[in-house]
Parts: sequence; C-alpha cells; structure tokens
Amino acid sequence: MAIMSKEYYADIESVYKKPEDYELAGKGNAYIRIDAEAKVTGSAVYTDDVDLPGMYYCKLVHSPYAHALIKSIDFSEALKLPGVKGVLTGADFPEGHNLGNPEAFKELADKEPLCRKKVRMVGDEVAAVCATTEEIATQAAALVKVEYEVLEPVLDPFYSMQPDAPAIHYPGTSNLSIFTTMKAGDPDKVFAEADYTDKHYYRTQQMVHAAIEPHGAVAKYENNEWTVWTTTQGAYVSRYWIAWGLGVPESQVRVIKPMLGGGFGGKLDVFAHELCPCKFAQMTGHPVKCILKRDEVFMCTRTRHPISFEIESAFTKEGKLLAKRCKHILDGGAYGGSGIAANTLSLICATFPYKVENIDMTARRPYTNHPASGAMRGYSACQVHFAHEIHMDEVANALGIDPLELRRMNEITPYYTGPTGLEFTSCKFDECMVAVADYIDWKHRDRYPIGSGQGVGLSGSGFMSGTGFPVLVTPHYCSSSTIVRLNREGYAVVFSGANDIGQGCDTVMTMIVAEELGLRMDEVKLVQSDTTATPWDAGSFGSRVTFLGGNACRRAVGDAKFKLLSHWAEEWGCKPQDITMKDHRVFIKGDPEKNISYNEACFGYEEKNFGRCVAGVGSFAHEGDKDIYVKNVGNYATAYSFSASAAKVTVDMETGAVTLDDFAFGHDCGRPLNIRAVEGQIEGSVLLGFGFTCYEECVYDKDGKHLNPSFRDYHFPTALDMPKIKTFVCSEYDPEGPMGAKEAGEGSTAPVGSAIGNAINYATGLTLKELPITPEKLWRALREHEKTGKTVFGAEDLPEKFANMPPLPARD
Amino acid sequence: MKKIIHFTLNGEPVEALAPVNMTMVDFLRKEMHLTGTKRGCEEGECGACTILLDGRAVPSCIMLAMEADGHEITTIEGVKKNGVLHPVQQEFMDKWALQCGFCTPGMIMSALSLLNENPNPTEEEIRDGIAGNLCRCTGYVKIVEAIDCAAKKLAKAKEAEA
Repeated sequence: MAIMSKEYYADIESVYKKPEDYELAGKGNAYIRIDAEAKVTGSAVYTDDVDLPGMYYCKLVHSPYAHALIKSIDFSEALKLPGVKGVLTGADFPEGHNLGNPEAFKELADKEPLCRKKVRMVGDEVAAVCATTEEIATQAAALVKVEYEVLEPVLDPFYSMQPDAPAIHYPGTSNLSIFTTMKAGDPDKVFAEADYTDKHYYRTQQMVHAAIEPHGAVAKYENNEWTVWTTTQGAYVSRYWIAWGLGVPESQVRVIKPMLGGGFGGKLDVFAHELCPCKFAQMTGHPVKCILKRDEVFMCTRTRHPISFEIESAFTKEGKLLAKRCKHILDGGAYGGSGIAANTLSLICATFPYKVENIDMTARRPYTNHPASGAMRGYSACQVHFAHEIHMDEVANALGIDPLELRRMNEITPYYTGPTGLEFTSCKFDECMVAVADYIDWKHRDRYPIGSGQGVGLSGSGFMSGTGFPVLVTPHYCSSSTIVRLNREGYAVVFSGANDIGQGCDTVMTMIVAEELGLRMDEVKLVQSDTTATPWDAGSFGSRVTFLGGNACRRAVGDAKFKLLSHWAEEWGCKPQDITMKDHRVFIKGDPEKNISYNEACFGYEEKNFGRCVAGVGSFAHEGDKDIYVKNVGNYATAYSFSASAAKVTVDMETGAVTLDDFAFGHDCGRPLNIRAVEGQIEGSVLLGFGFTCYEECVYDKDGKHLNPSFRDYHFPTALDMPKIKTFVCSEYDPEGPMGAKEAGEGSTAPVGSAIGNAINYATGLTLKELPITPEKLWRALREHEKTGKTVFGAEDLPEKFANMPPLPARD
Repeated sequence: MKKIIHFTLNGEPVEALAPVNMTMVDFLRKEMHLTGTKRGCEEGECGACTILLDGRAVPSCIMLAMEADGHEITTIEGVKKNGVLHPVQQEFMDKWALQCGFCTPGMIMSALSLLNENPNPTEEEIRDGIAGNLCRCTGYVKIVEAIDCAAKKLAKAKEAEA
C-alpha cells in the first residue's frame, strides 16, 4: 500500500535503527512498565486522587424515567441546605451545543450537557448541585424536585424503527441514528446458483465496560481558563467537546488526563460530570470535583451495543465461501456519541477473517430508551464474530467439513485486497489457527463425544490496526503527534499525545525513544496527555495507539536523530546513516576516533546552531478517506491484526454451569514490542470475552429501569473463574508498523466468545444463538431438549422481526 | 457527630477526630490524604479499597472509621519499608502483573493477607485469596504468577534466615 507520508519522512526513516540492532525492542524485552512503581506503592494519581485546596463537590440529578418530558425543576429545598453553593439546569449551557463524537460528525451530536425539555433514558442528567462536601452535595441532589410527563418508553430496537413508534429524537426518521450499507460483487446471482445457502439468526446482549475506576472529573477556573483533570481516553477530544458544550474557545480549556483506571472504550465520550464541574468552578471560583458512583457508571455512561443478526451465506459444496448477506440491527440506546462508528465496524468485521467477494450487508442503529451504546473494546467485533463464527461452525456441520479446514480454506492471506478495497498487509492468521488447534488437540476432538458435557471449540477473527475513524475535519483525520527534545545533560524528553488508559503505551513510547537514541529507559522523560503540554492526538481507541502513536513517536525521535546525525556526518565526512547511537554514545562502528558521548553530541549540535536544541516532531495518520464511513469503499486501516481462539469447556449437564478448562489464543500482532504486554492484553481479552459469553448482561424492567447496576448483581469472572491461558504470538514484521508491530489490544477480544460458544455447543449437542449463555438459560435448554428433542435455542423471535422491518430510508 | 479514635496506621500511632458515619476509605483518603486506597464500587464488591486490619484483608468501603479504633491498619502506602519494595510489590512490577493499576493496591493487600495466613499457597489458594478483588484488565494470569513468585521468594528468604 502506498503511504504518501513515507516519502515526506524518508530522510528521517533512513536513520531508524535496523531490526537486527534492536536492544529494548529486541529479544527478551527486559524492561518494565514506567508506571509500575507508582502503581504498586499507591502513589499513582488518578482523577479521584486530585485534591485541590478549597475544593467543592458536584452531584448530578438523574431521570428516573426512560422517556419523559421535563415539566419543572424545583431547587428551593436543596438551596436551603447549608453548604450548597449552586445549582445548574440545561438552560445554563448554550442551546444547540450538543455533545457527540467525533468532531467530523458534529451534525450528529445529540446529547445536551443537561437535558432541557426531554429525558431519553433512566439516568439522563437533568440538573446538578454543588456543595462544600460530597455528602452535602448528595443530600442536596436528593432534594431537587423534578416534575415529569412520562412518555411511552421505546425499548425494542425493531419496534423503534416502525412508523408508529414514538420519536426519541427527531420525528420522521424511523428513529435511526445512522444506517450503513456495504456491497460488492453480484451476491444475488451467486446465491441463486450456489450449492449451499442458508439463513440464520443470532443475538448478543448489552454489557458494560466495568473499568474498576469510576468516571469523574475535577475542574478549576483561573485566568479565564479552565483546567480539567478527567477520566478520558482522549484529552484533545474531551477538550473539543468540553469547550463546545460550554460555548467557549478551545484555547481556554486545558484537559489533563491523569492515570486512568481502565477505559475499554467507556471513557471516550464527554459527559455531564465533566461539564458541570467546569460551570460550577467558574460560578464559585473554587475547584470542583464530580466522581460518579458505581450505579451512575452503569446507567449513565456507555454500554456495548446489543446486536440482532440475520446472516445468509452461500458456499460451494467443497466449502468455498462465495457470498454473504447480512443485516445487523444495533440497539443504539438513547444517544449517538462514539456509538455512531458501530455500524461500519460491524460490517467490516463481518468480512473478517475470510475472503468473500460478493457481499450485501446493512447495519441500522435505531435509537431506543436504553442507556446509550458506545465504543467498547473489540468494537462491534465481539458481537459480530460471535454470530458469524457460530455460523461458520453451523456451515461446517451442514457441509460435513471439519470446522478448522473450512476456516483455513477461506482465510485471508498476506497482501490480499478485499472487494470493497480493504488492503491487508502482513497476515499470520493461518499460523494462529493451527497453533491453537494443535494446542487443544483438535485432531483428536472425538475423545469427547458430542453432547457428553465436554467439548472444544475454535474461532477466528480479524481487526483493524490503527483505525481510520475520522475524528477531525482535517486532511489527516486521525493523527497522533509527538515532539522529542534531546538534552545535552544526557537525557531526552518525549511529549506524547498518546493517552495511556492502562494498556501501557506510556512505556512503549518511552521505549521507542530510548531504543532509537541508545539511552536507558529512565533517561527518557515522558510528558503525556495534556492539551497544553503535548501535541495533538485523536485518543485511545480503534487499536490505534501502538500503531499510530508508536509511528508518530518514532518519526519524532527520528527527526531529532536525523538532525543530530546530519550535523556529525558533516563534521566526520560521512553520511548520517553511517552513525550509530548506542549505550549513550554516538559513533561510527570500528572507528575509535569518531566516538563521542550522547551529551557531547548534543552539545556540539547546539554550539554550531547558536544554542538551538535538538528537537524533532512527528505525526502519523492512516491516509484514508472520510468516504469509508459513508460509502464503505476504500481502505479502513494501515494494517490489520488476526486472531484465533480455542476453548475446552466442561458443561455440568445437571445445572448448566460452564467451566472454561483451558484456553489458547493465537495473535498476529506483527512484531511484539513487549511480549509480556502483549500477553497481558490477550489474557485480559479472554476475561472480557468469557464474561461476554457466559456472565454479563444489563437487565431492564418493562419501563427501561436498569435492574442490576452493581457488581453485586452484574458479575464478571473472578480469579477463581478464569482458566490458564496459553498465548501464541504468531508474529511477522509488519512493514508499516512501528518496529514491525501491529495492534494487540482490541482484536484479541473478538474470537473469544465464539470459541467458547462453539465449545459449549459441542459439549451439549445444542446450538445456542443468543448471549449470554448463563447456567439458567443452558439448564432450561437442556431440559427442553430432553423433553422435546429441540436442539436450536435463542433468537427465536428474530425471523419475524427481520421480516417486518420497514425499508431503509433513501440516502441523501 | 465526630469522635476521637486511636489506632496504628502503617506503623505509626494516630489520634484523630472522625465523623461517626464516615467509611474507612473516605477517612483514609479525605482525612489522612492516603489516596492509594481506591474507591471502585463503595459496596464491598470490587476489592479496590482493600486494607489490612490486624494483618487481615478487609474492604474499607464497608467499614466505618470508628471500627479502626484500637486496631492496626495497613494501607498500600505502608507496604514499602525503608525505601525497599515488598517482594509482592517487586513481583507485580517484574511480571507486568498490572495494567491500569486501579485494582493493584487492593490486590496487593489481599495477597499480603493471604501470605500472612498461608505462606505456601497453591495456585488454587492464591486464586481464592484474590477472588474478592476484581480486575478488568489482566485476566488475573500474571497476578497469580506474581503472588506465586513472591511467596516462593519469601519462603526462601525465611529459610535462609533460619
């Protein structure tokens, strides 16, 4: 693939260290996280740990109704409480300045900082109070009286699209927040002529990110400027929406991301708990903190889209995948935000990890009165790969082909270009698949008779490495930027816009700079995620941080290195590429004369350049087009990662309880920059995928009230529930990745659920088409199977619902 | 209403005036300014606020500050002694047994409690010992490995001492 910026950065890239010379990024990866000591001693500062003198506290008032009109708000009792310092309603924010994400789709922004006239979900924010202590603020919030006119809640996404459904936002739009299509080839002809065709239905549930750190923010106002410490995955994106929501220039808002206690996509959007403290800080002159309680995090932040699937496929009798048609209905919940990307991602992922030339796919994201769905780790991929990979086993069984062979027969191979223009680079999918199948001893799976209570399952997936999500309305929609300064006192400073949300990118950026300059890790000082101190970065999402941020960081240090080496090349009568930086020295290999210290090298440059320090800037963006989002034509990412999973389960046929006995994961993340970091991402992905498959679900009553907004009632796996995890890193140097790396954090969640699902189906002899597979659901299915012989369970209502959908609106 | 309480905090005697209805986690964070103990759920489910009460792990969000009176309390800030990390802390660093780090202080306190009671735990016992601490990032694999390595190191050191 032609990366246009390659030419622009050619000089800089010419002085990059060669793979055979890597030390830190080389074999062994013997370095530890730069934040590890702070995190094991408790000194790491997270948002809730920011404690400023004279700080006040903010609490939000939430709607108890899923759909209602606000008739009146009465603060009189709350204001009588000693210690209360102020109150806010929607009218305190500029009208029409709704919150959304990203900036490039500002016209889709649909969330008022505080609701003015209408609430659209239980937990919608209608007012805020500010007081001298958290306790008083909590009491005051409870004293605010809001009068509502309750409307009919719309909780079924299929009903939401019907002409007679009440409008959640805009009348006459079928409640669609966005719809997307993706077409190639001639699927109708292929379906008419194929040996094998089918049509199947699946459904996934709503789950939440459940980062252990609750969302929150601290704001202060001084010198006509706001400083906001907040739980964000993208300081610059937060800054954009906070400024927009307040109606002030971006120059007057500084956003700092302290340590972040997990994001998983749930901290991408901007919320009332960030804007209200800003307003109160300006009103009172005091810093103001707002930290959400756990039930608020459950109800008022974001969730993973529940998706209903209709999948049709056409194969030859030998097992070649010829065509796919599918319809994805995503329950968008009450708002858009980061959720608007879900459609496109669901369709792109539906083509992974196989070659399919004829496709006809649509995704619709209707609004409902559920909490807003948004980005979540393995965005759309977890749901899509669950449905499409359970489907793959069904096809294999119908055709009488080994599910492993069916997958290998159709898999994407290196440098394949898909029918809509997706351009793949390195691809080790086959190696991943074979490694996990061998580990689980797939060949001898007959040792577990089908329906015996024990079984194994396989699954494969692909994901974009460095999303092309158009965040900004600029030529480079999705850039990451870095500045590196070399200091003659023997160190370097890296100003990185990348947002470490726990995954460890601060360590990776530090390592890249240290590696290129031949410094120790502790000689590279990191300044991170602060809109005043660090350059622009689109945020941590879409598996873009290592790939885009890492490349940006390498270009920045390369820029500085090229300047420094050009100076010494002139002094020494050689080319910059002849000079090596290693072990704190700058030298020509084998020449004892031309060998100086790093400090001396920097000093010499400064002396020659009138004191100017050596500094470099670098940026990286996927050079895609916004059209990919509208038309689904073109390439989405610079590279793609691939994964395969194998699970061994035991199902207690009496109780329906599932034990995950063993799990193997093969991941093609390019060249790993730190093997333990990659393993950690994979192990965490397995937890998320196992929770998704067997544990987690947000449950609502008929009025749209969340019934389990606590860790007491919403379970995810504990240390006792998790198996050992065997990781296979099937790596190959990716030509576009930083030091050959691709993504390792998101794609790794995608094939987990379906491997477990396929293993459960094998162990029980049933086909389960709906998540989560809880013991209760499985117990009911097993009992019914005993009585009636029924084998397929879940999503039974979907054929009728899909058949009765209104036609897609015309695209303007 | 406030009352005076006396207790030992990270080895130092403390006399403090505390509201009778204040939870221990809020008291530690807001009054003692020890923010290493985290608020994750405030209902005793996630374990991020775990501290040691007389050497045993307790969630400090469902404990009142009053209940510390007369007891010995250890928080994450008291684990590193004389500038030297505890082997459990060191192993968490070396094994990459943390990612976002928000559960880490509580996780380490539970590990210390486990090792106080059972210096040679099996893998199953380690998993049981941290079953009250939720981690969303790691899948617990490297945490279990780090605690196991720390237990072995501590046992070896004890052997050498004897």
